[in-house]
Amino acid sequence: MAIRSLKSGTFSRSGMVGNPVIMPGSYESIATVTVSSATSSITFSSIPSTYTHLQIRGITRSSSANNYDNIWMRFNSDTNSNYASHYLAGNGATADAYAWSSETQIRSFYTAGGTASSNVFSVSVIDILDYANTSKYKTTRHLNGFDNNATGTGDYAKGTLVLSSGLWRSTSAVSAIEFTINGGVNFTQYSSFALYGVN
Amino acid sequence: MSLQLFKIETVEVASPVSSITFSSIPQGYTDLKLVLSSRSTYGNNFGNPRITINGSTSTFSRRSIYAENGAAGSEVGSDTRIIGVIPDNATANTFGSLELYMPNYASSTYKSYNVDSTTENNSSTQGVWLLAGLWSTTSAVTSITVGPIDGNFATNTTATLYGVL
Repeated sequence: MAIRSLKSGTFSRSGMVGNPVIMPGSYESIATVTVSSATSSITFSSIPSTYTHLQIRGITRSSSANNYDNIWMRFNSDTNSNYASHYLAGNGATADAYAWSSETQIRSFYTAGGTASSNVFSVSVIDILDYANTSKYKTTRHLNGFDNNATGTGDYAKGTLVLSSGLWRSTSAVSAIEFTINGGVNFTQYSSFALYGVN
Repeated sequence: MSLQLFKIETVEVASPVSSITFSSIPQGYTDLKLVLSSRSTYGNNFGNPRITINGSTSTFSRRSIYAENGAAGSEVGSDTRIIGVIPDNATANTFGSLELYMPNYASSTYKSYNVDSTTENNSSTQGVWLLAGLWSTTSAVTSITVGPIDGNFATNTTATLYGVL
């Protein structure tokens, strides 16, 4: 049975013959929420401050009458105007830039909407570096997209790819993250967010 | 087999420094991932971090798409920029967020990498970037240095290098 040295990267034979190889990684699951029936928000609470960074991976679809919607992200239930967001969005024809400041939530990404083709969900990865560092405001970085199989008209109805960022002007450690959808519509069944801690 | 991430080293800046170096990088991983939460002491609107590999600043090229000051664009360059450090004149306490991913860093082929980054702050002078870079050298990567092109990394800047299996 081989084990790998984390310092040198080389393999050697384990002294614990017959035992499974234990390789302590830096990427740990904290929690996963999968929607079983439509819900207006998805929240991670009591997030431990023991990791260095956070990463969230999600698949989402809204129940709205739109092909796509904005997903909002809020930290620690702070409803003040402490948030900013910026988007670079492409739809296969054009690339657009958007900016918002002093809002009450981060505009996280575009999700597939209720009138998108059946079974189409958007995919997203969100990184929050140094989320527990009390010397820093919290910056988020999001990569997101969906493809609607050439269906829909206008803007991002056929699908989009978005690189976006968000700012929460607070030095508090992030202990709770809430996702909602523009207009208060619901996440549909099978929408899911997974929260990971990165050491 | 699932992707596995292993921290090689974290550096936190206690007082301003011109660069951060990860040396003697182990060769046993498949890919490398670098994350950087940074602010520079330079007071321009956009700060540009750069990368040095194995002490080299030559044979680099890059292409990027971006949103800056509310406008989208694309550019190419033959330099070491990886883009995305908060400058000193930005909103206080804000730090840029950057991830660099380099597959097959120990191979004998040229080294490609991609970067996504942001200099998010509460103003219009802000940017997000996607960058594809190439170091046209066949040597295995044994050291990586990052630093702002102008000024120093400010206190509380952090950089972490991970190995990926």
